[in-house]
Amino acid sequence: MKDEREIVTVTIDGIEMQAPKGELLIRVAQDNGTFVPRFCWHERMKPVGMCRMCLVEVEGVRGMPPACTTTVTDGMVVNTKSETVKKAQDGVLEFLLINHPLDCPVCDRGGECPLQDQTLAFGPGESRYVEEKRHFEKPIPISELVLLDRERCIQCSRCTRFADEIAGDRLIDFGERGGEMQVITYPDDPFTSYFSGNTVQVCPVGALTAKPYRFRARPWDLSAVETSCQTCSVGCRGSLESSSNELVRLLGVDVEPVNHGWLCDKGRFGYEATHAEDRARNPMIRRDGSLVECSWPEALDAAAEGIKRSLDLHGPASIAMVGGSRGTNEDAYLWARLAKGVIGTDNVDAQIGDGLPAEVVLGLPGATIPDLDEAAAIILLGPDLKEELPVLYLRVRRACVDLGVPILDVSAVDHGLSKYASATIRHLPGEQASAAREISAALAPLIDGRSGPIVVVLGRSDVATSAEPTVAAAAIIREIPNTRFLVALRRGNVRGAIDLGLAPGFLPGRVTLDAGAERFVAAWGSAPAEVGLDTAGIFNAASEGRIGALILVGADIVNDFPDRRLVRAGVGGAGFVICINATVTEAAADADVFLPATVWGEKAGTTTNLEGRISRVGRKIAAVGNPMPDFRIASELALRLGTDFDLETVEEIQDEIARVAPAFAEVDAQLLKRARDGVVLPLALHRDELVLEPRRIPVIDFSWEPIKPEGPGEFEVVEFEVVEPVLEADASDEAAAEEESALPVDISNGAGLPDAQLFVWSAQHAAQPTPGRDNYALRLSAGRSLYDNGRTVASTPALRALIPAQTLRVNPSEISRVGVADGESVRVSTARGSLVLSLTGDANVPAGVAVMPFNIGETGVGDLVDVSLVVTDLRLETLR
Amino acid sequence: MARFSGFGVTFKQMFKPRITGFYPKEKREKPERFHGRHVLNRYEDGMEKCIGCELCAGVCPAKCIYVRGADNSPDSPVSPGERFGFVYEINYLRCIHCDMCVEACPTEAITETKLFEFSFANRADAIYTKEELLVDDEGRAKRQPWELWLGGEDDKTSAWMRATSSSGDADYEGRVNWSGELGFGVREPEQGQSL
Repeated sequence: MKDEREIVTVTIDGIEMQAPKGELLIRVAQDNGTFVPRFCWHERMKPVGMCRMCLVEVEGVRGMPPACTTTVTDGMVVNTKSETVKKAQDGVLEFLLINHPLDCPVCDRGGECPLQDQTLAFGPGESRYVEEKRHFEKPIPISELVLLDRERCIQCSRCTRFADEIAGDRLIDFGERGGEMQVITYPDDPFTSYFSGNTVQVCPVGALTAKPYRFRARPWDLSAVETSCQTCSVGCRGSLESSSNELVRLLGVDVEPVNHGWLCDKGRFGYEATHAEDRARNPMIRRDGSLVECSWPEALDAAAEGIKRSLDLHGPASIAMVGGSRGTNEDAYLWARLAKGVIGTDNVDAQIGDGLPAEVVLGLPGATIPDLDEAAAIILLGPDLKEELPVLYLRVRRACVDLGVPILDVSAVDHGLSKYASATIRHLPGEQASAAREISAALAPLIDGRSGPIVVVLGRSDVATSAEPTVAAAAIIREIPNTRFLVALRRGNVRGAIDLGLAPGFLPGRVTLDAGAERFVAAWGSAPAEVGLDTAGIFNAASEGRIGALILVGADIVNDFPDRRLVRAGVGGAGFVICINATVTEAAADADVFLPATVWGEKAGTTTNLEGRISRVGRKIAAVGNPMPDFRIASELALRLGTDFDLETVEEIQDEIARVAPAFAEVDAQLLKRARDGVVLPLALHRDELVLEPRRIPVIDFSWEPIKPEGPGEFEVVEFEVVEPVLEADASDEAAAEEESALPVDISNGAGLPDAQLFVWSAQHAAQPTPGRDNYALRLSAGRSLYDNGRTVASTPALRALIPAQTLRVNPSEISRVGVADGESVRVSTARGSLVLSLTGDANVPAGVAVMPFNIGETGVGDLVDVSLVVTDLRLETLR
Repeated sequence: MARFSGFGVTFKQMFKPRITGFYPKEKREKPERFHGRHVLNRYEDGMEKCIGCELCAGVCPAKCIYVRGADNSPDSPVSPGERFGFVYEINYLRCIHCDMCVEACPTEAITETKLFEFSFANRADAIYTKEELLVDDEGRAKRQPWELWLGGEDDKTSAWMRATSSSGDADYEGRVNWSGELGFGVREPEQGQSL
């Protein structure tokens, strides 16, 4: 956002500096290299001036104002290091330490504690306090994940302000007064926020500790790598830390365009799934009806043999590949090249029947997350962001609450952001298109002269309704001028997988088969000509016996595909099943060859988030056993099918992607290494957003910052360490470019390959009318909940307990109509099947709709949905 | 003549007192500050002093200490407080007996004996586990099969040297202070030490 404030001159400790008028003194000082100690002030929260640690002297002002609540004015002269300030700091620290227990050796914060650091740097050095300190019961759980030690709390209110201001879950607050003041939860209302882990990270002492990390390591035996979270497609930046080759925590890193330093609890604690007991360690092949462990060459030979047999007997269209949205971009590219360039099939889909068609994902004008802040309005037509993309929920909430951007909510049922909406259009599940027609009229009063784009968060709101109505709605919304779309797909790298050709009808780099044919035949030797099947089509074909070899890449299809009967029929009907996964899932147990893959944290590469932002993921630990990264498995299979990719490292693959895939032009390994906040595709439109300088980290007093400066820091000297950029300045770039052009083939921008036009969705869509609902039926809306039976949560001990109980929520009037009590079990039947479920009344659910989260419990939505139908209508019967 | 003057040295030595020690049958008294192998101490009620804080591992210049902490179960705590060291290992192939772990320990959990004669024949014996390092019920070091004990080696194990003077008492400023509530190995504060 452009800062248009007047620039004023301030003098801090004798150094003149320029700053926008009205900026906080503490921030101006920090940006110019003067560190003012603080506990309560946090860059992303409103100042409160509670801890009094940042007191400074301002000439002409009586007393000592706190730097965190004072704004700068022209000609201000500030002293942060005078004797008076020093005395005030000594006093504040002495008071803070009166009741602080000093159990640092036991405390998780010890070693990276702002209170320790600032006591050492600014404190009196000796304590005069000899009396007994305050005592409380140690530690009390305030949620399933967070423990509170009230003795250590210094009442800075960072946690309570985070919960209230940032997360919007005001579930913790201060109780009592004076020395008894403490953080409390409301009676019978635990701190069940999806963002509770952030309070642990912002706590400046060890008062809040996270259960999974508690006593697992000390700060000095951790090593860290900056990475992007791949739990969902927001791609939050974080610092992944390990001790003794074991991941122990993920801390949020403040990245302006993406996550502002916040993480959701699923992303923060999901690393535990990496160390799940049931991780597959060795490849397996089927012998005498059961899977037995074998060597890699044996398994790869068997897999290649299976593919070859189907290829020889029935041609390339008999081979299909499902999945690939959990890996890195490099994995996705080589899977796409294996399927489309080597095998020659287009039956490839990274989405598991619960997303949107690739045309919509790739063809709509894209928005970025920062666009939300400057938007004229935000239209929500998609999943419950709080459940599926939690940190995007925080960004939308911030845009609305802090920046005043109006929200138009188009949804079937209430969701996490409904209470912030300025206007709401309610529709029955499946009738998104008719709701979309009302949007223009509803939008006009909201915009009310506001400038900026209209950002549409578009996605599948539930898996019980097909993608069709959402596609129709997108076609209608696209006609509204100045709209940009954030396509809210859920899985970690689904956007990267689609960008790199793991979708029917597309080749890597956002080009269709037709547009890219010439280019990819030149680059790969061959490319498929006919558009293939999507996931549902693949399973249909497989159940009819038309798929000779089915390759499942990192997908838990039985749990994730909306229609379980079709999946089981598909896997059963496929001639030969190869499964590449980290654990033996239900579908993998039926596979003919199982190849164990490394997961997030065990491999390096890049990932693409829902904006199309590519950022690097880091490798922190070595995998236990013999799993291989996906891209190597794909290379090995290709080698056995007669094509040598000749790509050994992640960087080589990145360079090949930049050379071959049109949308990735110029995005090579070097740029990816330099771009601090990632690269948004296509680069031509987002070049000015590139940040090529490294993150600025003040050397002292930031030991609690997740990204640590290299080399020793020094106390007293406050300066910023700026690491030299990896590349030289522009002049030498040009020299390098000249040198490169002298080479026979210019690999930097794909010159020498035929051009291919990037795909743009024509949005010509004839909407099919949604079938009507009869008065005795309820229409099912099956969104997801953050904690579900997916692999991440199911393998994470800390999160497993948080999976909600399965229940069908309906309007209370429906309960009385059926004639049962609230909470009683009823038989629920659809065209597909029937289940016995407990029924709960919820006044927020509109009449005629039934809400049930997907993928919870042993049986559930997957047994009720028929993917060939647009909507899922269900009937309730009493069991009596 | 020169060959006889050489015998002169031999004759001279014959009448001097012998300084040969009959090691290992006889052992010399170790200096008070001698650094031998470690012990992990307990309180008198049997609770372990170690809280698993890893400060010893952090300060160790040879990186020979491996510690992991864990939550004390409230019903049967191993140490007082929330945390205890559930893994504690010292690799004596790497330890240089600098005693910095002893100085760093906030609870006097780790101290050094005068034992230095342990000739292990494999790595597993060289890495002392928590079970091997912990003192017995009498507060004395446990004898391991590969250690040469002739008596008295564990007499001065409990003493612990503070890096700073006991706070608040001006008389001890600048003097090294010793403590040891098990009752042995304790000495008077040393004079003339400047910190």
